[in-house]
Amino acid sequence: MAVTAPPATAGLGRAAATGVRSRRERRKRTNPLLVALFVLPSLAIYVLFMVYPFIGTIHLSFTNWDGFAPTKELIGLDNYRVMINDPEFWEALSHNLIWAVIGTAAPIIIGLPIAILLWSGSRFRLAFRTMYFLPVILPSVVIGIIWGWIYNPIFGVINAILEGVGLGDFATGWLGNADTALIGVLIAAIWATFGMVVVMFLAGLQGIDMNLVDAARVDGANAWQRTRHVLLPGIAPIFTFVFTITLVGAFSVFDIVYVLTQGGPGTATEVLAGYSYKMAFGRNYAGYGAAVSMVIAILSLVLAVLFLRLRERSRTNG
Amino acid sequence: MAEREMQVATVPSVRPVRTRRMLFSVGKYLFLAFWAAICVLPFVLVLSTALKDPDLSTGNPFQLFSSFRPDNFVDAWTLGNFGRYFVNTLVIMIPTVLGVVVLASMTGYALARFEFPGRTALFYLFILGLMVPFFALMIPLYYNLKDYGLLNTPLAVILPSIAGAGGTGLPLGVFLMRAFFLDLPNELADAARVDGCGEWDVFRRVMAPLAKPGASALAILTFLSAWNTFLLPLLYLQGENNRTLATGLLLFTGGRTRELELTAAATLIMLAPVVIFFMLFQKQFITGLTSGAVKG
Repeated sequence: MAVTAPPATAGLGRAAATGVRSRRERRKRTNPLLVALFVLPSLAIYVLFMVYPFIGTIHLSFTNWDGFAPTKELIGLDNYRVMINDPEFWEALSHNLIWAVIGTAAPIIIGLPIAILLWSGSRFRLAFRTMYFLPVILPSVVIGIIWGWIYNPIFGVINAILEGVGLGDFATGWLGNADTALIGVLIAAIWATFGMVVVMFLAGLQGIDMNLVDAARVDGANAWQRTRHVLLPGIAPIFTFVFTITLVGAFSVFDIVYVLTQGGPGTATEVLAGYSYKMAFGRNYAGYGAAVSMVIAILSLVLAVLFLRLRERSRTNG
Repeated sequence: MAEREMQVATVPSVRPVRTRRMLFSVGKYLFLAFWAAICVLPFVLVLSTALKDPDLSTGNPFQLFSSFRPDNFVDAWTLGNFGRYFVNTLVIMIPTVLGVVVLASMTGYALARFEFPGRTALFYLFILGLMVPFFALMIPLYYNLKDYGLLNTPLAVILPSIAGAGGTGLPLGVFLMRAFFLDLPNELADAARVDGCGEWDVFRRVMAPLAKPGASALAILTFLSAWNTFLLPLLYLQGENNRTLATGLLLFTGGRTRELELTAAATLIMLAPVVIFFMLFQKQFITGLTSGAVKG
């Protein structure tokens, strides 16, 4: 059997002794050839297909390259200057910001109570978890197709429900209407992510020391107080994590928008990633598209660093 | 008198508590079931539509399972060229999963167990990949792949996916596997060395088998993202014969506004492997997806 790790308690004295010895041994450098064998293949692929194109984006964002010209002419910060005065860029960014606020808050607001209820004891817990998680594993194309149907003005479920309850006047082509398209796409995205949030919070809750919960109960804390003062602090690191990945994700959302609306109608659901795609591959402004991409990259990196900081702080406090 | 008062006071207080508990319990299950229904009903709708007769498919969506026509799957499969897309998707998915698991295990092991200069810097270099969104590579990568002669070949999706452009890949893999190897006890490796094992055998025969739970979680995550990846093939794998299920499905549904039953059947063709896989390996799925949140 593979899983036959020696029990931790066996021969503590010896384990400590070998621990010391292996630490001394480990200070000895590993044979460089061996290191190369283990590291270089990964590093080569990673550098060639991640690091190099990333540097390429930084470089392109300072050029006015059209994707074809043999040379790339440097134009300094011109792309960024144009961007500041580009209303379509600002509109796309504003949609990402809306996405960041609603797309982060809604899955947490829906997912956290579900996770706490499941954790606090529920029949069919596994069955519930499986059902919540199903949308999470779906390909974005499928999410798009399903929700395209749900919103369909002719045979869509939403309009059928509205007509069924006598609110037929509100029926509309949800994705074709500039007022409802963005929120429509967002709802599809929230549907596809809140199960992930449930599962993550559940994993975090399962790590909470039950003695703390029992102690709080003995001390007379009611369910709300126990949640507020024991559970929520216990899952604070998960909270930060969920917060960060959904926030970062909000600035690079693309697939579901592309499948559902392609940024339309007009620019009603245009997001930064889609705008970058359109500029670079639709209109051959590779340089400008790269500059828009850099905005996505910088926002993501800033948020990720902020997250690491927050986590460091919560660790030193805890 | 005091005793009687206490009895009077305690007896009625029991029932409200019990009814309140009952109400809470009913409310709880209603709440849980409501969201479960929201998650599951769209699947039911797709399945029901996929089995409908062509002239009923765009009718009332609430007439679930009003007809039974499994031929829709055959029609969608042949009409939509899904056999080809299926093979194309496998040709991308299998090397990606193998590549990520093998390479990430080796590099994660080296970062956890070997002693060499620049080890920490290398770790951070890989971790950085977790924070760089695909759009920060998308445009130059297109022209790089063109220069390398890889554009519109399976490698144009496989290699960037292994590198981590699709979101998982080596950055996540190296992170997970390093953490896994750090947690393993030293004693076994040392014992194998005493028995005369070379470093390669220590990795291959002793440590790698112990890391199987981590590797299988990573494999399943990579499978999921390789199966679902959309923008990579959309950009780098163009042309009818190169389409994957994701891009092929989009094309197939894009032209169809009436034949909903075929769209639904095609959607299920793409969906089935993922859902079956998920049901079989739910534990690994969830360990893999939550490991970043709980560990690290």
